[in-house]
Amino acid sequence: MVSLNAVLVISFLLFSIGIAGVLIRRNALIILMCVELMLNAANLNFIAFARHSGSVSGQAFALLVMGFAAAEVAVGLALVVALYRKRDTVQVDDINLLKG
Amino acid sequence: MEHFIETIGRNLFAIFGVMALVGALLTIGSRSAIHSVLGFLFAMLNIAGCFLALEAEFLGVAQILVYAGGIVVLFLFVVMLVEMSKKREGEVFQLQSRYAVVAVAVGVVMFLGVFRKVLFGAASPEALVLRPELARGLDVAHQNAQAVSRGLFADYLLPFEILSVILLVALVGAVALAKTERV
Repeated sequence: MVSLNAVLVISFLLFSIGIAGVLIRRNALIILMCVELMLNAANLNFIAFARHSGSVSGQAFALLVMGFAAAEVAVGLALVVALYRKRDTVQVDDINLLKG
Repeated sequence: MEHFIETIGRNLFAIFGVMALVGALLTIGSRSAIHSVLGFLFAMLNIAGCFLALEAEFLGVAQILVYAGGIVVLFLFVVMLVEMSKKREGEVFQLQSRYAVVAVAVGVVMFLGVFRKVLFGAASPEALVLRPELARGLDVAHQNAQAVSRGLFADYLLPFEILSVILLVALVGAVALAKTERV
């Protein structure tokens, strides 16, 4: 017996914590983790609405999102490692190659 | 005692959800990256608990396998590779973080206002409660994994195949990005 509103509020708070992390942290790794948090908040909504409507579409899509998140993490971490090799830092405001 | 356990059983989702929020706050708040990864792990495990409380058994287990088993380990490897050799970062948060915090706070407050109006306000529909009989198509009592796979392979076969191609491309791309210059 879960109220749908509780799910929505929790997933909203999770999403905003994720956005806050992306905006205020300097470490590229932690920014990636916060993106994952946001994807998980979306998944939570998918599953709540799948549960509400009694169809498996939401759960199937949540599974797809999970796979997508795994691909994103693989590429993101490879980027971080490549960046660390080149610039010797993972702090995003030390990386200003494109700054005019 | 039994009453206590019953109360916990009725509020499993809220408990897991609040603990997931705590984990998320640890993720963005802690100074060292290792602690952030541990907070992230805590949040992911609790989100898996939320999935289980919402009767998505297959996804709950998949969440534990994919995130706690795969992604967190990957993050830990990279943190140890990248952070350990380095001196501690002096400034944890960005210079413009004050504005970012203000922007996020304003956004959260405005959205909460909309939320309150829509979900809890006078004109809102009665609160939806996810009762057991709502989960008919999910086949929770028998085979949740079977129901999900029927959805995935019957209705959403094309997205599934596209996802497999995306995973392959990501794999090749990650190897190409992370390898050293000389082959």
